[in-house]
Amino acid sequence: MKTSPFFSAENISCGYGSRKVLTDVNFSLPQGSVTGLLGANGSGKSTLLKAICRQLPHKGTCTLEGRALGSLSLRQLSQRVSYIPQKSGIHVSLPLLEVVMMGFNPSLGLLQNPSALQRRAARSALASVGLGEMEDTDYLTLSEGQKQLCILARTIVEDTVLLLLDEPDSALDLHNRYQGMKMLQKLLLDKNKAALICLHDPALALDFCSQLLLLKDGKCTACLRPAIDSLSVMQEALSDIYGPLSLIRCKDSQGKERLVLLSEML
Amino acid sequence: MDKNIRVKKYLLSAFLLILAGTVLSLFTGKYPLASALLGGEDPQAVKVFLALRLPRTCMALLGGFGLGTAGYVYQMVFHNPLASPDIIGVSSGASAGAAFGILFLSAGAFPVTAASFLGGLTAVALTLALTRLAPGTGQGTIVLAGIAVHSLAQTLLMILKLTADPERELASIEYWIMGSLNAVSLYRLPFTAVLCLFCLAGIFLLRRQVLLLSVDQEEGRMLGVAVEKIRFLVLLLATLLTAAIISLTGLISFIGLIAPHTARLLTKDNSFPTLFLGGLLGSFLLLSADLLARSVTAGELPVSIFTSLLGVPFLLYLMLKRN
Repeated sequence: MKTSPFFSAENISCGYGSRKVLTDVNFSLPQGSVTGLLGANGSGKSTLLKAICRQLPHKGTCTLEGRALGSLSLRQLSQRVSYIPQKSGIHVSLPLLEVVMMGFNPSLGLLQNPSALQRRAARSALASVGLGEMEDTDYLTLSEGQKQLCILARTIVEDTVLLLLDEPDSALDLHNRYQGMKMLQKLLLDKNKAALICLHDPALALDFCSQLLLLKDGKCTACLRPAIDSLSVMQEALSDIYGPLSLIRCKDSQGKERLVLLSEML
Repeated sequence: MDKNIRVKKYLLSAFLLILAGTVLSLFTGKYPLASALLGGEDPQAVKVFLALRLPRTCMALLGGFGLGTAGYVYQMVFHNPLASPDIIGVSSGASAGAAFGILFLSAGAFPVTAASFLGGLTAVALTLALTRLAPGTGQGTIVLAGIAVHSLAQTLLMILKLTADPERELASIEYWIMGSLNAVSLYRLPFTAVLCLFCLAGIFLLRRQVLLLSVDQEEGRMLGVAVEKIRFLVLLLATLLTAAIISLTGLISFIGLIAPHTARLLTKDNSFPTLFLGGLLGSFLLLSADLLARSVTAGELPVSIFTSLLGVPFLLYLMLKRN
């Protein structure tokens, strides 16, 4: 008997007004791993994330753990799905701890306040992203990279089963980029969650994602599995969206096999 | 210094200032109460104390706290540090209502209070109705609707002023617009006080939701906030609060803007203590302004003159110190 996937998107089409951005996108996400969403600028990556979390009206169905996301109330949706936009829309001064504790809202009653236990969990989430000493710091005074780490801490406390992340690494330095992805990977594995993450760095995606969805002109052109697919298949699919490139398999100084991508547009 | 200790010190200082202001307010005025009450032989003094001085002081405390709290709510909901009750037309609606009351109902205080309260609420209802009709639901739509209603109310006020008798009615309208706690008495305070306390309780209970409204609408929705409903609810509470206060006191300028700002400059963020401190600073500002309004000259001056005179230098000092 065929088991239904943890998350599936079927025939997703949507756009802005009369401009169509996505056309019949189909894919599924496995539990416990990261799926990367790759594509050139304007290919519809952010639009796809917004459609899944119902921020944009769309055609097609998204199903999470057997339930259509469209049938869930806003509260039920927020208890199951986290969405992290490219830039968080916090425009007023707030201490970091307060920002992280916003992540408990889906599980709290309207007038309920976070418990002492939740406050501790928020502190620990801040510490896990390296901002432990800054809980009283004003969010607006952080660098863009630190803001992304703080929002990652909020996502950790949200504790939803599906994470939709729109370029969460765009302002992070190399160390924090890898650290953040490692943390995310561990979180998904430990708690059996799934994540769809929009990335602009294919090298990072090849290192961390068990599955890569490639979008071009609003259509899903390939679904790659770096651990299984041959170099030539991946190279061809990636070249289709990024232009001529070479994909090379090599070993790092610790003997770990890695995929290296070199653009040939020099 | 640890931030919590620093904030607690500010809160304690604000309490002490309010305490001192309350004592001064209770015993300052034309009728010398201190000696009369201590002597215990003047029934008139007790009457003045209970019927006038005490309600007036309570209104200064409650009104200032309410305006400071409402200002915080507007600034958070509209993500705009310059937002004040007039952003959705409540003050201008109340002014037009008061002018209507002065011209067409009676010179008595109660009809004017009732008319201004209804004027404020009508303006806000109109703003929210216009927002519903427009396709967008963001803050921009509410602000635009508020500007339209504000302009409409101002026009109505101008027309009412033009038809007013310059000697009596026009002077009354102008005096109302500058605000005074002169009309507060034991008989008129309870309705306003109960409404204010109800709205304040609601806002304080919903304080976490107010913080969540400061996040962009889409992000808020993904954090499980029913943005439109909660925004409507907290704006309704803040507006009722403002309308209840200014319908009794006339327009009191600046407290809704300056009190939360000052609190924010002291605490350096917008978390719960800032909301509370903003309210306390509002109380202190209105208490002090009212004290000056009734003691600087032989007659009584409008209170808004002093809320600005007291508030602006302090705000400038904090801004310069921050820079």
